[in-house]
Amino acid sequence: MLDLKFRDKFALKFQHMVGWITFPVWGGILIVLMRVVGRYRVPELRAIRQKYKEVKRATCGPVIVCSNHLTKIDSAILNWSLASVWSYMKSFKFFSWNLPERANFYHSAFLKTVCYLGSCIPIDRGGNREAVRKSLDKVIYLLKKGHTVTVFPEGGRSRTGRVDAEGFTYGVGKLVNKVKDCTVLCVYLRGHNQETYSEIPRKGARFYLDMKLIKPTSDHSGLRATRDLAAQIIGQLTQMEQVYFATSRQ
Amino acid sequence: MSKDEVLQKVVDILSKYSKVEIEGNSITMETSILDDLKINSARLVDIVLDFEDAFDIEVDDDDADSVATVGDGVNLILAKL
Repeated sequence: MLDLKFRDKFALKFQHMVGWITFPVWGGILIVLMRVVGRYRVPELRAIRQKYKEVKRATCGPVIVCSNHLTKIDSAILNWSLASVWSYMKSFKFFSWNLPERANFYHSAFLKTVCYLGSCIPIDRGGNREAVRKSLDKVIYLLKKGHTVTVFPEGGRSRTGRVDAEGFTYGVGKLVNKVKDCTVLCVYLRGHNQETYSEIPRKGARFYLDMKLIKPTSDHSGLRATRDLAAQIIGQLTQMEQVYFATSRQ
Repeated sequence: MSKDEVLQKVVDILSKYSKVEIEGNSITMETSILDDLKINSARLVDIVLDFEDAFDIEVDDDDADSVATVGDGVNLILAKL
């Protein structure tokens, strides 16, 4: 049962609308920063975007994008890679909501503004349970309304540089469990020169991006289902990582 | 099962996950699982699942979210027994 008040729902709709209206400006600036300052490249950009378009066409319900997590700007790189500014302007629901940790991103007015426009819902990991639950309720509400949400199921940037198949969190399992008919787009994203976790990718990074659509299911219920579903997603990401290292790092 | 027995079992379970040494009677009902025992919030689900196995109870998601202190866990278990 969602515990969202009318004003919470209105605030989300308003944030989404403001983000959409201003997207050509801040989205354009972000892309320029990534391309010019970071010299980041996504060699298969066109194919990736085409594949994402097909994925969105093939799914009629809510989609959770689940990615491995190595840098603080993974969400920005994901959104840039998955669709063009024009595509997002046509359907801003394609632009993924994010759940950044409040402690990392909400300490300056500039970052707060960027996060607000960039469809972020701050979350206090390990903080007040009520506040965490409210953030998750917002995500569930958005998913049920057909929005796309990006979740990093590891719960933070991987300290080993590899998908953390041991210490991962179960929040994403809870989302899948609560939002019926939702599909999960597992995405493996990594810069060619990214050995381990960092604040931002190294300059000149060329990003590899692979995606696979899955529909996790569990025979369990309640918390066991939550854990089971999260484990399936992590398992898929681990497999994708193995493919990456077998094919792209030889 | 008495409250003290439940508390003892809960402490045994928490000691598997705690990053600090749990000594004698250092754990009280007010002890915070996350702050005092330095347990990662991601492991709370595992802990509650261990409660389910140890006490043969079933805990739903919302009840699990309410567990913040050792006392919350003990009271939750007592309510389900």
